[in-house]
Amino acid sequence: MNSCRMYMRKGFLNSLLLRLLSIVLTISALSIPASAEVDVDLGKKLFKSNCASCHKLDKKLIGPALSGVTQRRSEEWLLRWIRNNAELRASGDADAKAIFEEYNGSIMTAFPALSDDDIKSILAYTDAVPAVAIPKDVPAVQPVAEPANDLFLIYVLGVFLALFIILLLRIRNTLKQINGDNSSTVIQDFNALTQWLVGNKRFMTAATIVVTVGFIHQLFWFLMAVGVEVNYQPIQPIAFSHKIHAGENQVDCNYCHTSARQSKHSGIPSTNVCMNCHMYIDGTEILNDAGLPKYAGERSPEISKIYAAIGWDAENRSYIENYEQKPVRWIRIHNLPDLVYFNHAQHVTAGGVECQTCHGPIQEMDVVYQYSELTMGWCINCHRETEVNTSNGYYADAAAGGKSINERLASKFHDEIITVEKIGGLECGKCHY
Amino acid sequence: MAIEKVYWKGFDQLANTEVSKRLSENEFSEDIPIDQFLGDDNLMANSSTSRRDFLKYLGFSTAAATLAACEQPIIESIPYVVKPDRLTPGMPTYYATSYVDGQDFASILVKTREGRPIKIEPGDKTRFNWGTNGRAQASVLSLYDSSRLRQPIKNDMQSDWDTISNDLKIAVEESVNDGKQFMLLTGSIFSPSFKLVVEDLRQTYANFVHVEIDAVSSSEVLDVWEALTGVRAMPSIDISAANLVVSFNEDFLSSATPQQVASDYAFRRKPGKGMLRHIQIESNLSLTGSNADKRIKIKPSQVGFSLSYLLNKVSGSNHSVGKIDKVLKNQLDSIAKELMSSNGKSVVLVGGNSGANAYLSAALNAALKNIGTTIRPDKPVYLRSGNDRAFENAITDMNAGSVGVVIVAGPNPVYNRVGFDSALKNVNYSLSLNDRFDETAGATTAAAPVPHYLESWADYIPTNLDFSVSQPVIRPLFNSKPTIEVLSELLEKNKSAKDLVKESVLAQGLNWSQTLHDGGASLKIDARIPSFMEISERALAGVEIAVETAGSVDSGAMELSLYQKTVGAGYQSNNPWLHELPDPISRACWDNYLTISAADALSMGFVNETQSNGALDGSIANIQAGELSLNNVPVLIQPGQASGTVGLALGYGRSQVGKVADGLGVNAYALNLLNGFGVVKITPAEGMHEFASTQLGNTMMGRKIVNEVSLSDFINDPKGSSWNEKPTFHTLDGTVSADEANLWENHDHKTMHMWNMSIDLNSCHGCGACVIACHIENNVPVVGKEEVRNFRDMHWLRIDRYYSSDMTPERADTEDIGVVKKYAEMETPGVSPEVVFQPVMCQHCNHAPCETVCPVGATVHSREGLNHMAYNRCIGTRYCANNCPYKVRRFNWFNYQKNEQFASVNPAQDDLGRMVLNPDVTVRARGVMEKCTMCIQNIQYGKLEAKKAGRPLKDGEINTACESACDTGAITFGDVNLPNSAVQIAKNDSRSYHLLEEVGTQPSVFYQTKVRNRV
Repeated sequence: MNSCRMYMRKGFLNSLLLRLLSIVLTISALSIPASAEVDVDLGKKLFKSNCASCHKLDKKLIGPALSGVTQRRSEEWLLRWIRNNAELRASGDADAKAIFEEYNGSIMTAFPALSDDDIKSILAYTDAVPAVAIPKDVPAVQPVAEPANDLFLIYVLGVFLALFIILLLRIRNTLKQINGDNSSTVIQDFNALTQWLVGNKRFMTAATIVVTVGFIHQLFWFLMAVGVEVNYQPIQPIAFSHKIHAGENQVDCNYCHTSARQSKHSGIPSTNVCMNCHMYIDGTEILNDAGLPKYAGERSPEISKIYAAIGWDAENRSYIENYEQKPVRWIRIHNLPDLVYFNHAQHVTAGGVECQTCHGPIQEMDVVYQYSELTMGWCINCHRETEVNTSNGYYADAAAGGKSINERLASKFHDEIITVEKIGGLECGKCHY
Repeated sequence: MAIEKVYWKGFDQLANTEVSKRLSENEFSEDIPIDQFLGDDNLMANSSTSRRDFLKYLGFSTAAATLAACEQPIIESIPYVVKPDRLTPGMPTYYATSYVDGQDFASILVKTREGRPIKIEPGDKTRFNWGTNGRAQASVLSLYDSSRLRQPIKNDMQSDWDTISNDLKIAVEESVNDGKQFMLLTGSIFSPSFKLVVEDLRQTYANFVHVEIDAVSSSEVLDVWEALTGVRAMPSIDISAANLVVSFNEDFLSSATPQQVASDYAFRRKPGKGMLRHIQIESNLSLTGSNADKRIKIKPSQVGFSLSYLLNKVSGSNHSVGKIDKVLKNQLDSIAKELMSSNGKSVVLVGGNSGANAYLSAALNAALKNIGTTIRPDKPVYLRSGNDRAFENAITDMNAGSVGVVIVAGPNPVYNRVGFDSALKNVNYSLSLNDRFDETAGATTAAAPVPHYLESWADYIPTNLDFSVSQPVIRPLFNSKPTIEVLSELLEKNKSAKDLVKESVLAQGLNWSQTLHDGGASLKIDARIPSFMEISERALAGVEIAVETAGSVDSGAMELSLYQKTVGAGYQSNNPWLHELPDPISRACWDNYLTISAADALSMGFVNETQSNGALDGSIANIQAGELSLNNVPVLIQPGQASGTVGLALGYGRSQVGKVADGLGVNAYALNLLNGFGVVKITPAEGMHEFASTQLGNTMMGRKIVNEVSLSDFINDPKGSSWNEKPTFHTLDGTVSADEANLWENHDHKTMHMWNMSIDLNSCHGCGACVIACHIENNVPVVGKEEVRNFRDMHWLRIDRYYSSDMTPERADTEDIGVVKKYAEMETPGVSPEVVFQPVMCQHCNHAPCETVCPVGATVHSREGLNHMAYNRCIGTRYCANNCPYKVRRFNWFNYQKNEQFASVNPAQDDLGRMVLNPDVTVRARGVMEKCTMCIQNIQYGKLEAKKAGRPLKDGEINTACESACDTGAITFGDVNLPNSAVQIAKNDSRSYHLLEEVGTQPSVFYQTKVRNRV
């Protein structure tokens, strides 16, 4: 336990030092704009994008575990190795050759594009993070007392009110008796009132109108909502979490949904795309809320489903030959009717619309649900309000001998904002053909 | 002063027949049988459903339907496990390949979506025969034909390939041991790797015989060219080098290499000085004849001595020519004069398969010094190599029992040759290798499927300058095996078709990947022919026998000329798109029929009648040709048909082709007229035949629908003020054009794009490839014969055909002919009419009458000059169609995708046929109006591609389906706001005009005046 604490503290100290260092560097960077700072966060990012496919911090993958590598090798050596390991090997460096042999001659990618600071950031990150996942010695979070229930207060008030009414009625009956009149029960009063109301033409007319309008209003909105599947959240065959991938790990949407930039379909990634990462990440390291390994050090059953689909033998780290592959049968959430043509590329590439504009906070969704209405009114609204990305060469550049579309739009609309509507975005044939 | 005009719907109304009287009295042409079910008290009383029950059922079904509608179906989205690299879902991928169906050859591009081919596009223009005709366009559906053979069949039982291979092996061994022949019967072979395998077979088996036949024979013509050049191949025809084409019965715009010839023809027919002149001398009114500047009618038996007569005139020789009637003689004299004045730059073509005629035309071309300029034996076309003499020998051998094994790979001789069926009975083992269980397969011991051309590897040498490859664009749908692999297995080489093609490509010294990417490569193989001089001398030297043969051809009172419609020789008979396309000339669909001249019909008692619903009925005839006869052939009166002749199309009357075409039409091959013509006896038969004809108005009634001008007028007045007058209106503000006199406000067409289309009526020769392309691209439903007969055809694009009439308003004035007689005669096509074609699709009016009357705003205008149609808004009032002056809107009367009535014709009815649907275009439901969208899916795709690349649109980047299908470049589409775009230039051309401009609809489509090179 102590050693763990030590580790933590050391990590903390390291990062503190690094932060201080970075402040110093930032100050110096003011005079030398070209240099970047050494930053653990940057290192983490760089590590994930460049190194993580072959290295883990805590165990061997294709390459060695990197935690504590700064203690094993000199920084200068590491800089040379990471930038261009082949060159280092060619220069006859004994250590370089040895590690190459140790890993059966698998060639590490050269990273000539990384600056010294980048590499130092990565190294800082490998130092900053504890090598072994450590269960936190914080007790489980106590359930917080629920806030006072408003409903309860309303019930209490209601009871008081009822008592008050009964009291008043009794007082009235008493007064009547004093006056010599016959007392009446609540039911008799009510009947008298009803009879009076039914006999009142004005009231009945007004009531009929109110009820009819109310009914039609409700019916209209009920019917309008038929087929509108907002919040549709089916259970998928694999409990894939966008929150983990797009949110926590910052995987770019386009990495998996590649065709969104080119095609009408955003494209559900084929299983081989999953394998790009999950060949190395099998879920053993996932922690639960308590900070303990979620699957007790075993492979995640969800990730195993990917392996089952494509035929990956996780034990021998190889694809099974002649395996009958089974595609993953995802449940489609966003269902546009066949009569409407929607094109992702038009919106993502040409329009520069963020995925979240229509799909909502996807990076926070564990299970994806339909965020937008996907009704025609919703489309039209956006087309009315959204400004066209007129910097695209399609609008901005002129064909030989002619005027660009931008110039032509300007002569018609002058200084007005060019919305999608203004270039014909509300016309039927743009989406229905 | 108002002119009193009298209009009537048809001849019947004019003649005031019983039918038309009844029609004018009754609103409905047929009685509606209300009385049958309401008036019958008995029926009502015995009905088990009471009124109360009825209401219960109604209430229950309404509630059930409501409840059922509330549940959202679960839709799955299944990605690839391993996605192929080059494939992006939602984006098309194109592959270059070669289209070969036994009849045509074309270099094409295949558009595939998510791995399934959905459209055929023309190939690279440097490739041989790069265009796509109707059959090439439609061939993609033949891939998804559910009537294709799915697995090997032996003795009418399902079998497997191992059994077939073993049986074949044993049969061949037995046959060799018995000393009997092993025969391979194929179509014309121009595949180098296939030839190698055949050579291998010849080496291995002593008694091996390879026989090639073509469905429509060119054997005698090939014999002639073999004798002249030593190469058994047709010379290519270079129309681009000609100033004058004289064609005898040759439909060169639709025969063997029509795409190449048609594009050259259109190029040389550009109006102006030096425009190609075309004289057609023919019996049937062909597509080619319809485009001629001068058309002369002739009987097939007269062709031979007419050619001899011309040869005498041109070369000064003095061959004895029989008696020629005076009219024909005069016409031949004037042709001879024209031919001599364009020496070396003319071409004489002859149709049919008569050796004598072919020889005479070769001699005539030799005398005119055309060999080497327009007739190019140095560029032979190897597409035809069938040999009828070899086939006759084969039949004799089979009948003699000396043939042990026959493999029929490709042709269908039981259907298109007389006598093969019975000969096959004397063969021990026969195997049919074809895509379906056709007539021949029904007669063989075993049958096995071969892949469609889109599923298979192949290599071709169509000419000595071209090497082409075919590559699969989809995995074989069925358990098929290419013929070449079956033969390779027999030879125990077991090479796959791909290996063989690869070897062949490498043997040519070509790069494998590049060749596949381009769909082929250019070659420089010497044709190994004698010099042009020598060929010409040979042709002229041996002409005496040909003159004699041609002079002794049988002639008779009635002669039959066989021809081909868009269906062709019958290989793709089961393709509904080809049947739904109206014949360019007769405008009848789903049929073949005897075409006859009006005079002959009158004398023989044949009639064509228009029924009360507007449909056409015709008499029925029996045909007798020598011993053979063909009964119950419908008769269609065809203007322009030479009297004393009749025409009949091949490719119909199939019995085992599939659900679409079985029993459709009559089989003209049964008359065994291998020369393509012969003397026949026509006798009337009982009954009437129901035609499905899409156009009954045959003439333009003196209106400017197709604007036409003679070449001399065009050259004298290039601005067109005398022949392309724009209509004007007299208003309070003075004389204004049709554009200015209107009720509507003008749209803004300057800011964004403005899509316009120009159709050059001079280049359009009416073939109909565009109509089929439109069908495919836009998921247009096929409706079948019955519905076409009801005028419910769904073509978004139609090609109107008009005949000229002998009566003109001018003639009526000078001859003082009364109004009734004048209009009646103006409706009748002339005896020798000139023919014009006009493709008509939605004109995308900028002041659209349809938009004004739509009560729900389903059809609205776009700021890009298009008339949009929102199917989901349409409630089917059909006001728009009624208000459309061009009659281009089509109403979905039925649910063609589901209704069982259309199960045999509509490809979208089965799972396989549905694969051909374009995923970017909605499949319309019943009860909505539809029409041409100018391929808006392509427009949107093109714009998006430009936006993705961040550049402005380029001219010619966006094509409509009809535009790309057109070999002759008659259709030009583009943004008229783009400076110097092709369509902008066309719009400002003096020949351009709008259809029915006086209506003031301001269409986005305009036409270019047709120019005829009259002398």
